[in-house]
Amino acid sequence: MATEKKASEYVTLVSEDSFEFVVRRSAAIIAGTIRRSLDPTYNFEEAQKGRVVFPTISGIILEKICEYLYYHEKHAESKDVPDMEIPSELCLELLIAADYLEV
Amino acid sequence: MSIQGLHGDEVDFENTWAQIASAFREIHTKNASKLSYEELYRHCYRVVLKKKGEELYKRVQNFEHEWLSNEVRSSILLLVTPQLSSHDMVATTATEQRTAREKFMKGLNAAWRDHQTCMAMLADVLMYMDRVYCTDHRQISIYTAAMFLFRDDILCAPITGGGGTGHVLGLLNQVILDQIQMERAGDVIDKYIIKSSVYMLEHLYEDESESEDKRLYVRSFEVQYLDTSREFYKREAELMLRDSDAGAYCRHTTRRIYEEEDRCKSTLSEITMPKIKKVVEDELIKNRIEELVGMESGVRFMIDNDRMDELNLIFDLNSRVDDKKSELTKALQKRVVEMGTDVNSAAIAASQAPAPAPEASEKGKGAPAERTLNQQTVAALKWVEEVLQLKDKFDRIWRESFESDHPLQTALTQSFSDFINSPTFPRSSEYISLFIDENMKKGIKGKTESEIDMVLEKAIVLLRYIQDKDLFERYYKKHLCRRLLMNKSISNDVEKQMISRMKMELGNNFTLKLEAMFKDMTISEELTAGFKTHVHQLGDPDPKRIELSINVLTSMTWPLESMGNGDSEDTKRPQCIFPTAVDRIKQGFEKYYNTKHSGRQLTWLANMGSADIKATFPKVPQKDGSFKERRHELNVSTYGMVILLLFNDLSAGESMTFEEIQARTNIPNSDLIRNLQSLAVAPKTRILLKEPMSKDVKPTDRFFFNEGFQGKFIRIKVGVVSSGNKVESDRERRETEKKNDDSRAFCIEAAVVRIMKQRKELSHQQLVAETLTQLQGQFKPEVPMIKKRIESLIEREYLERIEGAKVDSYRYLA
Repeated sequence: MATEKKASEYVTLVSEDSFEFVVRRSAAIIAGTIRRSLDPTYNFEEAQKGRVVFPTISGIILEKICEYLYYHEKHAESKDVPDMEIPSELCLELLIAADYLEV
Repeated sequence: MSIQGLHGDEVDFENTWAQIASAFREIHTKNASKLSYEELYRHCYRVVLKKKGEELYKRVQNFEHEWLSNEVRSSILLLVTPQLSSHDMVATTATEQRTAREKFMKGLNAAWRDHQTCMAMLADVLMYMDRVYCTDHRQISIYTAAMFLFRDDILCAPITGGGGTGHVLGLLNQVILDQIQMERAGDVIDKYIIKSSVYMLEHLYEDESESEDKRLYVRSFEVQYLDTSREFYKREAELMLRDSDAGAYCRHTTRRIYEEEDRCKSTLSEITMPKIKKVVEDELIKNRIEELVGMESGVRFMIDNDRMDELNLIFDLNSRVDDKKSELTKALQKRVVEMGTDVNSAAIAASQAPAPAPEASEKGKGAPAERTLNQQTVAALKWVEEVLQLKDKFDRIWRESFESDHPLQTALTQSFSDFINSPTFPRSSEYISLFIDENMKKGIKGKTESEIDMVLEKAIVLLRYIQDKDLFERYYKKHLCRRLLMNKSISNDVEKQMISRMKMELGNNFTLKLEAMFKDMTISEELTAGFKTHVHQLGDPDPKRIELSINVLTSMTWPLESMGNGDSEDTKRPQCIFPTAVDRIKQGFEKYYNTKHSGRQLTWLANMGSADIKATFPKVPQKDGSFKERRHELNVSTYGMVILLLFNDLSAGESMTFEEIQARTNIPNSDLIRNLQSLAVAPKTRILLKEPMSKDVKPTDRFFFNEGFQGKFIRIKVGVVSSGNKVESDRERRETEKKNDDSRAFCIEAAVVRIMKQRKELSHQQLVAETLTQLQGQFKPEVPMIKKRIESLIEREYLERIEGAKVDSYRYLA
């Protein structure tokens, strides 16, 4: 099972309120914390299952983060990137989560 | 809610730490798969957020310290056995020793690898601490800190027991060195283990700056490695120099260098490569090259025996340590000069050996002297051949062994010109000119164009080495003059080719006069033809049908003085009295010439001409009983003709004394002697008889017409002694040199005036230097000579001394 997961192209991110986001691995590992938790050489629990649980991040925030991860991956190499819409009420929480996840 | 969740509430530090520590223990024992990274990360995150970062950092450090010194160190120390140390050879076989060593290294490597992996994991877990706490507080990252811990707790752990002293690192170094030493001695070792150990050392630093040159590898191991290697190679060099020959030494050294290169790649670190190479090069080459080159089987031996590949090795080695390759160059030059000097002295010996009485050649006359001169000519040609061979040899060595290295070529050229221009051997100019002469006269007969080309090229090659080009020019002119006047040259084309080559090599100035000589020859041919038609047109039938062929030579360009016999005391050559028949035609030509070029004066040089005479010898009984008239065509010198014609007027049996002949012909003494010698002494052309019969001609001798003369051929050539181009006798040489010095004086004065005209004022030193450079292409003047010329120019008021100048200076006076 572990080997199957390792090869998998997608990983699952789980929020505090049990929302599951299936994200492409290449996008997910843009976040340092996610990357390290999934590092197959260290073989933590997350790496084996391809599933990372974040008991401190809510579904709304995690969704926004996933959106950003894709957004980042898409525009990583291009210029004149259109701004990403961020509702002002989420700003603070997003910042904290970003710090935590090292995005 | 979630903000609180991330921030967490009050964190119980001790509790959290206990969790973290136990997780770390799991990680160290490779049980990470049960742990959640996120959870651990979150714990650490919280701790740091609660400003407990410092505490956490210290705890982790402490934890690692404990772990390393309690768990790891003991397992490493277990591997430290007495067998490890190479000094305790007692009761340990090499195999045992090797196994122990490999086990030790393996253990250490494994501990290092584990530590690295675990610390990487720990560092990942503690990432938030590294990012926030360490950055803010300028702490080194926990990973680095842990690496230092490994260094301190494991590598610097003192070794107790087993009689060993020092610490693990020292032992490790020793072990690696011992292994490498084994490999050098030819054993097979496990390179991979060493490589891993080296890898570890490369990643540990001596202090916290983590700069490249502070790596443990560089600071600790490499220093020792280079030291032991130096020792090793020093000893090896000594041994090899004593026991083997230079070729083997070179081969061995090259192999060692490649080995060391290889070792750096496969076993140690690439950064050591230049350093260890330098050690090997220093020890095996730089410090030994002098001995190596000078060995009995060194460069000299290799050159003598054409050991191209060994020479190439030496070249390669020397160029490693010395761009200029000075040692090799020195040896090479020495050998060239030695061999060249050998050739020189062989030539001198050869030219003197057959002349038991050197003074005989000094007289420059008489048969024995002639033989000596011939010998010398042979010696001269041999000299040239040998020099060319030498040149070929070294050219080949240079091409094949020295990779056509430019500085070496310069050095070789230098050495060649050194020995060719050696002051103990002043004849090279003459010899080279003679060599060309010989080839022009005989050598190129029946050769293809390319072969001729090669001969010419060779001559030019040698010419390049000659320093005193003016001396060469003098000789060449003289030799060329003889060839042209006596029609000895085989091919005019080749002559002209040679001159155009010299022109390319030495410039216009050099060949100007030589070309003028050719021009004179062509003009003379035209004149002769013109005169012949002129005589016909005059309708003045010459009763005796004397045909005149004439060469009109410009006196400035032809080295006429050197065509003389060296009797310079009678510079005013008395006019020879020609027989009337000849005199008439001579006057005829003079008239003709004056109509063509008025105002020019012709000087007749009878000593250089030749004549064909049809002679009829009367019927006298021969030894073989025949009794008839014999006709011969005699080819004699002009003087010879004049002498013989005298006997026309004598009746049979009448004789003339030497003095009488001289009175009636006015031929200079020495020329007369030589001509009479060939007419009356030389056995095959004894047209005259002499009384008393002896080899020398004395003023009191009487001469008769030899009625009973008998020759095998109709045409008989009466050679006059020393008419060919031969090596000069010593006296002639002194003469030539004196003349050369005279003309040099003019050259120097001209150069000085040219320079001063341009510069107006110049210090003595500069003037001398410039003069030297200006004249470089022609010859190398001696400084005292230049000084003298300057003095003389001052006397004649071309220059003046500048009064009161700090250094001697001159001013040009227009």
